[in-house]
Amino acid sequence: MRYVIVGGSASAISAVEAIRSIDKDSSIDLFSDEATPLFSRVLLPYYIAEELSKPLLSFRSADFFEQNRVTPHLGVKVRSILADSKMIQTEDGKSYSYDKLLLATGGNPIIPPIRGIELQGIFPLKTMADAEKIYHFKAKRAVVIGAGSVGVESSISLKRRGMEVTLLEQLGQVLPTVFDEEAASVVQKRIEELGITTILGEKALQFEGNGQVKKVITESRVIECDMVIIAVGIRPAIELAQEAGIEIGSTGGIKVNPEMMTSIADIYASGDVAETYDITRDSPWVNAIWPCAVEQGRIAGLNMAGKRVLYEGSFRRNSIGNFIGIPAISMGLLRAETCSTCEGGEAFQEIKKRTKETYKKLILKNGRLVGVILVGPTQKAGLYQILLKKKMAVTDYIPLLMSHRLNFMDLLPLIRRYADRFTETEYKEIMDTGL
Amino acid sequence: MVDKNKCTGCHQCELWCGTEIASVSKELYQAIHETPQPVPRVFVEGKDFALQCRHCEEAPCIEACPNGTMRRDPETGLVYVYEPTCIACWMCVMACPFGIITPSSTLKVAIKCDRCRNMGYPICAEVCPTQAIRLEERKDYRTKAF
Repeated sequence: MRYVIVGGSASAISAVEAIRSIDKDSSIDLFSDEATPLFSRVLLPYYIAEELSKPLLSFRSADFFEQNRVTPHLGVKVRSILADSKMIQTEDGKSYSYDKLLLATGGNPIIPPIRGIELQGIFPLKTMADAEKIYHFKAKRAVVIGAGSVGVESSISLKRRGMEVTLLEQLGQVLPTVFDEEAASVVQKRIEELGITTILGEKALQFEGNGQVKKVITESRVIECDMVIIAVGIRPAIELAQEAGIEIGSTGGIKVNPEMMTSIADIYASGDVAETYDITRDSPWVNAIWPCAVEQGRIAGLNMAGKRVLYEGSFRRNSIGNFIGIPAISMGLLRAETCSTCEGGEAFQEIKKRTKETYKKLILKNGRLVGVILVGPTQKAGLYQILLKKKMAVTDYIPLLMSHRLNFMDLLPLIRRYADRFTETEYKEIMDTGL
Repeated sequence: MVDKNKCTGCHQCELWCGTEIASVSKELYQAIHETPQPVPRVFVEGKDFALQCRHCEEAPCIEACPNGTMRRDPETGLVYVYEPTCIACWMCVMACPFGIITPSSTLKVAIKCDRCRNMGYPICAEVCPTQAIRLEERKDYRTKAF
């Protein structure tokens, strides 16, 4: 058996481990267009903030490839897939044959076609190389465009490095894909307290400067700066797959079945590039987040190595971490009324509790938990995750779920009620508390 | 092992864990005045059940950790936080199905039970007056030899 993996981040590495848990001997060739291996992409803002040095960005030890007998091809771009002859071709003109191929190509940062985007000092933040450029770039004033996770964390990082930072978001709130307006306002207040200027509901129309960016122009103002970070999101990197004739799903990712196999046999896809069944939406979706990439990589790897395991589905999960000083976690859907991908005729319900510094919201669809937002007390966040993942109806547990006394033992009867939704191992692991 | 029938919900395990493991002074009277406040790794839940990390075989916290801070000791199988690299992103907190990982904003680390891996015997089991918490090897459960 010959395994070829395209991609070198969370999903690819997780797949390697899964393959090696079954197949100790076959060859694994891993191709990544990035020269630096095994660094954690989500931690790049911490690198810019000088909170973590380069070695601490690694999520596996430096000898990972040797230990797992993987042949890494770093800095090598794969040019095409020849599905009929089961080969891939790289840009340096070489070909490699495979029996099982995994596409874990991740996403490409979206670069909006704004006038002046080619000026010096404008960067996306996706690769280690991007992070290095931003880190070494001498600037006093920065504008971050897009207030998603990367945008918010980058703003705080640059602020910590002593820059004057403006965060520009075209929608009406920060973290629009992570929080609803109320949670976002708590987070926004924190960001502003750190000394970052946030401008909402305004779009960058043009960048100006003489070779080097000096101004960002919006509908109503001119912001002077000498660096711009573009953080308006990522799009699945589907070029290779598309060219090979692999089916692309309706939300723009590579369509996969529950074994993580694409429309072409023996070609698998996982991570930020894959479109999977979203449990909370009940429809296909690309959930480009770290835990999903790891899970999907594992499922893909196991199936590639011949062990049939089915993926239950993904759902969005975000944690803002200590960057803003208070824990804030959100999963699943954000709000009932604007769930555009859900069919009509379904009863949605929102339950909220707000204090000055904390916020808790549950979103229910026909009594089933489909979304949770927590700001402040988040220790029990994982409990909601089981309920969400196993599609449990929770109507009779709402007082407990909204209470600060929520704990695992009091949820046990509910978990028992849905025992058939767990696999045997899962259930055993959950129930084996010595009862 | 925690025996539900024997647990009286006396919180001795919480007190001792908080003092002996988490506090600087190791003396209860001083520990309660410490800042940041010591956090126990075991919690008496519901009315009477002591819950600590289960050291899951397929541990969601390890899968969620973006930089290998949440680790498994290859010899004992115990899951622990390697504190020097913890960046307080709270991904593990979000993933733990038992809700036993405490996000400590003051210490900027995730805090969880490591079953006293450096002490030989877990303190919660040692102090439990009814022996509801016991350390026992069970061959019937774990598929791997932990």
